[in-house]
Amino acid sequence: MNAKDSLFEIIKANASQKELNWIETKATGSLQSLQTAFVATPRFISKTPINTSETLNGVDFKTWTLDKLVRAYFLTNLSNSDKEVYTKTLNTLFETAENNEAVALISSLALLQNPEAWLLRATDAVRTNIGVVFDAIAFENPYPQEYFSELAWNQLVLKCIFNDKSIHRILGLDERANKELATSISNLAHERWAASRSIPPQAWRLVVNYLDEPIFEDIKKLFDSESPNDQIAAALVCKFSEFGTAKSELEKHPDLEEKTKDLTWSSLEF
Amino acid sequence: MCQKESEIRQNPSHFEGTAEELEMSKTIQSNYMDYVKGMKFFDPHIHMTSRTTDDYTALVDAGVVAIIEPAFWLGQPRTGLASFKDYYSSLVGWERFRSSQFGIKHYCTIGLNSREANNEALAEEVMEILPLFLYKEGVVGVGEIGFDDQTAAEEKYYRQQLEMSKEAGLPVQVHTPHRDKKKGTELSMSIALEHGIEPGMVIIDHNNEETVESVLDKGFWAAFTIYPFTKMGNERMVDLVKKYGPEKIMINSAADWGISDPLAVPKTAALMKIRGISDEAIKLVCYQNAIDAFAQSGQINVSDFETHQEIDQSLKYNGNTVLRGGQIPRVDKNSIFIS
Repeated sequence: MNAKDSLFEIIKANASQKELNWIETKATGSLQSLQTAFVATPRFISKTPINTSETLNGVDFKTWTLDKLVRAYFLTNLSNSDKEVYTKTLNTLFETAENNEAVALISSLALLQNPEAWLLRATDAVRTNIGVVFDAIAFENPYPQEYFSELAWNQLVLKCIFNDKSIHRILGLDERANKELATSISNLAHERWAASRSIPPQAWRLVVNYLDEPIFEDIKKLFDSESPNDQIAAALVCKFSEFGTAKSELEKHPDLEEKTKDLTWSSLEF
Repeated sequence: MCQKESEIRQNPSHFEGTAEELEMSKTIQSNYMDYVKGMKFFDPHIHMTSRTTDDYTALVDAGVVAIIEPAFWLGQPRTGLASFKDYYSSLVGWERFRSSQFGIKHYCTIGLNSREANNEALAEEVMEILPLFLYKEGVVGVGEIGFDDQTAAEEKYYRQQLEMSKEAGLPVQVHTPHRDKKKGTELSMSIALEHGIEPGMVIIDHNNEETVESVLDKGFWAAFTIYPFTKMGNERMVDLVKKYGPEKIMINSAADWGISDPLAVPKTAALMKIRGISDEAIKLVCYQNAIDAFAQSGQINVSDFETHQEIDQSLKYNGNTVLRGGQIPRVDKNSIFIS
């Protein structure tokens, strides 16, 4: 089944008959009429949460509402037989999007016919300061993991850390960890410490496989932090790291070693 | 602001009541907010694009829970369609978000203002993109539209936008001109009626003592802009409410890039309270009537602002964690330290 049909199956299970009638009359329309239907959706479709366990192209609909799902469905109904017109239609939607529309567009990127063509829209969403739009690209969205360059990926993760957002909601977080990112996190921590601030403790999970001498100094510093969660983060880094002296460093803090024996990073996911 | 002596005499801004009222007005200056404690306000005309975060904080503190930002003239004339598109997008995007950070529900009206309607080539292009925005969530009307110089071009696009409002089932927010106001107001109303628009779907804005009677008699909503020097003063407003009652009357600040007061609605409410107008009447004029008029768009859900909204913790602004613990962060203006 293609994305369009799969989405309609989920909609059928969640929409009223009246809503289905409206969707069906709009779905077969011209590009222009689909474009208008996308905008007008909340006037005809409720915002009730979706009840489904389905996932599609890595998109999980657990936190979606019906109006958002219907918008995604309209997007998958846009014909791309004329590529130029198709691109123009979607670009207009992006450029004139109200916040909820922007969220629907960004959340649907992985469901579009050629997702890689919309990379710039995705990285623009990382640049936004509008919280809900940023969250739409950052969290529970398979797009960044699949299509972002390392540079764009690191920007996304760093901006989350910088804004105290919950990085564990980024799909592919541990898989796409990299040396460059680990160094940036260390640098950010130094800036914060200079200002008597800190970074969220779970950010240190991203340095585990990239420990070097300078970053290891940061970990030692975390052991001495007044924050219990920083100490736990330090212990977890040492516990999971293969770095030379990590294990022996942990042994210097037997209380923490004991405390984190059965802990994983999920204990710091907030 | 320097004013000519002759202007002050013509439009006195000073107190002209009884000696007793004068005494009272002196004693309440410092604590007028006590008179409206616990009241909720809805400002149906305020241009937050031109205002600062300090104003948002002041609005929250004064009890303003929701606002409407009409599309207007930004001061600098726009020279291309993209500027209009980006402006409309900002009203449903960035400004809406900015407002939400303070827990204030932000609606807007979308339209081509009368002044820029005179650039006909550009106006034609704007007409084409307007429908794209009129159907968006939280767009509660077509506005602010109407007359400025009362030119043929202004009339042409006023008419076109009235048709769009009918098509979209949206209320119309009508700007009435500064110059030749009475004639402009009458013309705006008669054209609306000519297009078969229900008067109850039209909010005639910037009324004064000269225009209000005709507006109410014809069944339109009468909005008053409390704006220093050029429009209504709030003492005159109190007298108008006493004279005409609270039905179908609403007030707004129209605060913008000019010398204006974003707290015009709560301040006027306080003055009404002091001058003996009932709480029910104050609620109608400063809250309910605006909601009733613009909710005809189907885009206002009062539970979005009537029940206390926990400010969304996911809303972070430019690296600042603005909203810790659901509280608006306060900057101590008297402190030399910024941390």
